[in-house]
Amino acid sequence: MNDIPSSLSIIDESNHGRVKKVRDMKSLGYKIIGYQCALIPVEIMSAFDVVPYKICSDIKEPITEADRLLATASCPVMRSCLDCALKGRDDFLDGLVTTHSSDPGEKAARTLGAYTNYPYFHFIDMPGTVRPEAITYFKTQISDFAKTMASFTGKRLSTEKLNIAIELHNRQRSLVQELYALTRPVPPLISGTEIVKIVRTLMTLPVQEGNNLLVQVIDEVKKRGKGPAQKRARLLIWSSTLDDPGIMQMFEEQSNVVYDETCGGIRPFRSSVKVTADPLDGLAAYYLKEITCARTFRQASLGEIEKNYSEDLRSRFGYLKQVVEKWKIDGVILLLVRYCDPFAFEIPSIKDYFSNLSVRSTYIEYDYSERALAPLRTRIEAFIDTIS
Amino acid sequence: MSSDDNKKAINRLKSTYPLRDKIDETYRRSMEASRAGKPTVWAMVNFYCGDPILKAMDVEVVYPENYGTLLAASGLAQQYLDQCDADGFPNHLCGYCRCDLGYVSKVKQLNGQIPPDAPLGGMPKPLFLLSSTAICDARYKMFQAMGRYMDTPVWTLEAPTPGVNEFFMENCYENVVKLGVDHLKQFVAFVEKTLGKKMDWDKLDEIVDLMIEVNKVWYEINELRGAVPGPMHSRDFWSSMSAALLLAGDLRDSLRLYQDMYKEVKYRVDNHIGAVPGEKYRLILAELPPWHSLKFFDKLAERGWNFVVESFAYQPPIPVDLSGVRDPLERIARFHFQFYAGRYRVARDQNVMLSASPYISWGKDRKCDGALLHSVMTCRSASGNLPPVANVLMEKLKVPSLMIEGDIVDLRLFNAHDALAKAEPFEETMQHYRNVRKQAGFDW
Repeated sequence: MNDIPSSLSIIDESNHGRVKKVRDMKSLGYKIIGYQCALIPVEIMSAFDVVPYKICSDIKEPITEADRLLATASCPVMRSCLDCALKGRDDFLDGLVTTHSSDPGEKAARTLGAYTNYPYFHFIDMPGTVRPEAITYFKTQISDFAKTMASFTGKRLSTEKLNIAIELHNRQRSLVQELYALTRPVPPLISGTEIVKIVRTLMTLPVQEGNNLLVQVIDEVKKRGKGPAQKRARLLIWSSTLDDPGIMQMFEEQSNVVYDETCGGIRPFRSSVKVTADPLDGLAAYYLKEITCARTFRQASLGEIEKNYSEDLRSRFGYLKQVVEKWKIDGVILLLVRYCDPFAFEIPSIKDYFSNLSVRSTYIEYDYSERALAPLRTRIEAFIDTIS
Repeated sequence: MSSDDNKKAINRLKSTYPLRDKIDETYRRSMEASRAGKPTVWAMVNFYCGDPILKAMDVEVVYPENYGTLLAASGLAQQYLDQCDADGFPNHLCGYCRCDLGYVSKVKQLNGQIPPDAPLGGMPKPLFLLSSTAICDARYKMFQAMGRYMDTPVWTLEAPTPGVNEFFMENCYENVVKLGVDHLKQFVAFVEKTLGKKMDWDKLDEIVDLMIEVNKVWYEINELRGAVPGPMHSRDFWSSMSAALLLAGDLRDSLRLYQDMYKEVKYRVDNHIGAVPGEKYRLILAELPPWHSLKFFDKLAERGWNFVVESFAYQPPIPVDLSGVRDPLERIARFHFQFYAGRYRVARDQNVMLSASPYISWGKDRKCDGALLHSVMTCRSASGNLPPVANVLMEKLKVPSLMIEGDIVDLRLFNAHDALAKAEPFEETMQHYRNVRKQAGFDW
């Protein structure tokens, strides 16, 4: 058993616990705005003093209500989010902000807009490329988001206030990076499951409160006597999203998950918003370019008229090379949530990339249901047997 | 009407056939160009955005999405689907893409040679790949994924789609147009650099005007389809749409052919000639049809089912006067976005999702009795919002829907017998809702 840091022991990252926490904040006068994915500029919400609350799916809740609005052959995570909303489980929200994260994400977003009744709703259109003109357009979309937030909250957004919010969120990003640095030793000082719990909690709290929690957790983890035991392999998980501690725990039964490149893990925190004269420029560039979601089209050089596959792979996955080296990765799980097309298209290419690095990887798909967990466990065990 | 036509369940338009040939012509011309050492490009359907530019630069284009349907229709899809699966792509990916990825994988295996059994001579080696972010993820992720098999550059066209309410915010429309124009300037520069020649702006100007005119006539043809009996079946729509949607073939010729089609459809309307003799039920087909089993619609026609509305994504934009816009790139950007912009206000006023909203006016104007919703197992885009389409049709028009599962390419996922077995009870449902509509004050 690990020594549980006191800051972690008081966290309740379950859906129930998260809802209780935000209801408490709401009773203190906070406005709570839900957001759909890691591509939403949370700084805008923080700058208006509202709490950004990441809406989450719930694997334990059978999808029933969403069936009448989203086809079954659609992203089960998005369907689950919609299902929870339709069942009133997010009824504490004062509003919701969504984006064109992917095709199913966009469908879910527009369905949420049409079939829920939050006092505030906003959809941010997101370009598909990282070209300069796309970033300029995206900036106008973020600006429109800020305008509707201003109208909803009755507040004015000043550059100073937005810069402060950016600074606070950048601070959070660097603290999360520090947290992930604690998984680099062998054995790691903190488990992947603990990290998922912390990240889930961060996506429930006002940014400053989240930063305070991170400082405390990092301090306690560094000092604790017993961390996770060394297991048979050190894994990197690459996925669209993995924000369920129960699933992460399953991976960690026989391995140490030392890096999770997912939206429930390091992906929203791996880089920082650059300081720009107009802070919206920094935000637009960060959310379009720096969040390494497969939905965004990247290439070795913009407008290239010659293509080289190796360079193309480096431009899309190159950031993972240093992760493999620094975190001493033994194997990579490419975890695909069924019907997540942007990530599904990447599978053979990212396997090629890891193969070029001489790192073994396996592609595992599941449909985000409890019945999928037993076969998932079997496949994880088989992979660990192969690499350890 | 000839005696041969009398035997057919669907009375096809004669003007369809030369338009249908336009898409075959693109493959033939691309092959000829390739053999002559001229550039060819593979493009995803880009909704009037990149096609006029390529046309102005004399580049022959083939459409892998369309090639997927061709493989499906010729019964050759399976081997390419299997090849794609074997290469490690998940089998729930878009059927078109799986066919195309299987195709390029096979070409690589054959050291660059086109598979000998490829229909219409196959797709020639492209100079570059033109993808688009419009409608779905697959339409730009596939070309990126093809990098495994061919070192061919990719250009991804931006296709902005703001939210319905957000669209009415100050400057949103102009911001969309600005992105379109700025982006197309960059695209033209890319094409010029790749081809090593300059854009002929006068020619582009003319092509853009023709594109808009062709689509206007195509729109007007479809506006005639409210007549009872329905003069034009969906099979004619699908066969004819490529010349307008993909700008396949010579545009002047296409304009003449669509004008001929308008005359033929108008003649049918004036003389009460239906596409389905003894029309009993008028239906919507949303979204994509099972391309491998189009004869399925003949079986339904034998039961008196006439399909008078098709996929949202295939419809021409609502006509808009762009004659005052001098810059051809701006005309392209505005026309491209008109696909959505033409429908935002109605969707907002109806308080209905954009993807479901048009079906309300089509259902009403074309006096539909039901909707056949084809839930495509490998297409999130076409199937994702079918349930809301069913909801709004029932809620607003008292029109029932029948959902069948299948696929655009993968025959294994479609059970025609099962789908046909559902037709008979659905007729009773449609009959029932005729009475419900009457009681609710509807006029059909």
